[in-house]
Formats: sequence, C-alpha cells, structure tokens
Amino acid sequence: MSDDHVLVPVTRAVPGMVLSDELLDSHGVVLLAKGAVLSEAIIASLGRHHIDMVPVARVEAHRAPDATAVQARLDVLFRRHARDDDNDWAGNLLRRYVEDYRLERQVAP
Amino acid sequence: MMLTPGDLTRDLDDLPSLPAVVMELLGSVDQEDADLSLLAKKVALDGALTAKTLRLANSSAYGLQVKATTIGQAMAYLGFEATRNLIMAAAMTGCFPSGRCPSFDDKAFWRLSIATACCARVLARHLHFNQDVAFTAGLLHGIGQLVLVTRYPEQYDAVLRERARLDTDLLATERTMLGIDHVTAGVALAEHWEFSATLHQALAFYGQPETPGAGFLATIVHVANAVAHALDLAGDAHDVVPAVSSVAWTALGLSEEAWLHVFRETELQFEEMTAILLA
Repeated sequence: MSDDHVLVPVTRAVPGMVLSDELLDSHGVVLLAKGAVLSEAIIASLGRHHIDMVPVARVEAHRAPDATAVQARLDVLFRRHARDDDNDWAGNLLRRYVEDYRLERQVAP
Repeated sequence: MMLTPGDLTRDLDDLPSLPAVVMELLGSVDQEDADLSLLAKKVALDGALTAKTLRLANSSAYGLQVKATTIGQAMAYLGFEATRNLIMAAAMTGCFPSGRCPSFDDKAFWRLSIATACCARVLARHLHFNQDVAFTAGLLHGIGQLVLVTRYPEQYDAVLRERARLDTDLLATERTMLGIDHVTAGVALAEHWEFSATLHQALAFYGQPETPGAGFLATIVHVANAVAHALDLAGDAHDVVPAVSSVAWTALGLSEEAWLHVFRETELQFEEMTAILLA
C-alpha cells in the first residue's frame, strides 16, 4: 500500500472518508468501488459484512497559511484603503476580518 | 466618443437577446400568479439549460435530500423563486459572446458576479431577507459592463487598457472616456429587459447604498460585492476592493464571528457554482 493510503478500522471510519481501493466481501464480490465516499449508512453496512478494516485515502496534511503572502496580497487588494483613514473604518474592518479568516485566527464569539 | 443614456437605449436593441423563457422568468420576479407548470415545460425544451439548472439545484448549497431530476421537481423541492434564479444563472452565464474585447476578462467577470451572488445569498439568510432575490441581484449587479463590452468593444477595450495602465477607478474611467458608466448601462438594461422594481433599485444604487430610497437589497449587494473582491474570488491579479460604505456595513450589524461564517459559506458555494456554471 502506497503512502497516500491508510488502513482504518471500521470502528474509526467516519463519513466523508474516501476509499482508496475497491472493497471486496469474503466471497470476493465488490462491495464498494474505489473512490466511494463513506457515509453513516455505508459504515454501518460494512460491519454487517464482517469487514474490520477499510483502505482510505490519506488526507493531505493541513499546511499553515503563509502570513507574509496573505498580507502582501491583501495590501494589493486593499490598496485604495489607507489603514490610517478613520473615515474608512468599514473597509479596514473588512480587511482585518479577511486577514483573520485567511490566517485561521481564533475569533471570540 | 461620448455616449448619452439616449444612445444607450437605442443601442440596446442590438444586444443579444436572452432565451425567451429567461425573459419570461425575469418578468415574473414579483409575480405571484406565474404559471409554473408552463414555465417548467418551456425550460425543459432546452436540454443544456435544464442540465445546468439541475446540477445547480442538486449542489450542496441547496441541501436536497432527494435529487431533482426534472425542472418540475426542482420547483417542487426548492420553490419557484430559487429554481427560477438557478435557471437565470445558468442562462445568463452562457448568453453574452466573449472574445470581442481583448482586455475584458469574461471569466473573471463571471467569477466575481457568481461570488457576489453567493455572498449576497448567504448575507440574506443571516439577515432574514429574501435569499433568491439577493442571489439574482448579486449575479446581475455588474451586467452593465457586459452591455458596454458587447455594444462598444473597441471603446471599452481602450477604457480597460487605460484603467490597467494608471490603476484608476473603473467607473470614473468609463465616465471620462465613454460619457456613461456601467451602472448607467446596467440600469438601462434593467429597464429594457423589464427587471422588477426591486432589482432595478439594487442595480442602480449598489454603489451608493446610503442614498435615500436605495433599499436594503442595494446594501446587501454593496457589501457582498466588496466581500467578493476582498476574498479574491475573481482571480484577477489587478483586482481592487471598492469603497465600503460604513452606513451599509453598520446596517448589516454582523459580529466578526458571523462574518467569518459568511466568508466560509460564500467560498464553499462559490467553488461549487463556478464548477457548474463556468465548466
């Protein structure tokens, strides 16, 4: 099995996981095609077919956004909005919120 | 060459016309008694339009538990207004010919229009405003640009080149070089195509939502347009976030937490819709 696959016990499978290989039952009959997306119903049915492990595609590791690149792009997009312009507080607030969003900052509810 | 709104009205007759069924749908925006089954039958005659509309209806933005396989089903599941707006979105994005004005990036134009439509719809849901009307107004807010591109391609190309060279404001450059801007052109089109009064007001005032009588829809479209630019969804390297009216921003009254939700939902719906509409 290559690096982009991982075997997961059915008990730990969650909806949304994507099958990296076709899944056969004990008689060699195809139960699910490669690329099928697991749902609650499918996961429940796997147990009934006595399947313990499922091969799923490994999700690409989450990369932290590049703060410098995000800010540089926002500088371009917001070039008509001076940061020190008190009359443009709405524009600057929009910029700050988009920056928080792009940099995945935690925001107090 | 300087144009007047009068020239524009005359020249609108030469515009590519929308499919007849879409014209009927536009006319029915505020109509309570539109004949749904007849409209569904007419749309079904256009296979490509039906296919696109159904893909939109079955996208996750609408969260259908059962897939709609006919226009009639989509109307039953989503309601007439939502379906009508999806038909319009599917029809409009394929209606204007591209390529006659080299400096005009029609892909970026539609990406921005779809992003504005998605954001307006998300905002409308947060604010308990009619989501379908907001979606349509967002989608059509810049339609005047297509009028200018289609009707005066060479002149508009010069406007776009000048704007790119000096990084000037688009509306101001249009007024200086053409005598009219795309908001005026959009309003003329709204009259020509007999858009509803609500839509007409939103197209006329989304740039100045604080104008008395502009209406709340203009406020929604104004902010949705700014968000679409700020989220960089047009995919245009020279994009610029327009002025943001503090009056409009305050009127929406959303917390930062709510805004971050709006951004996320807008991006999700946008990705799905552009994949269908701009395939």
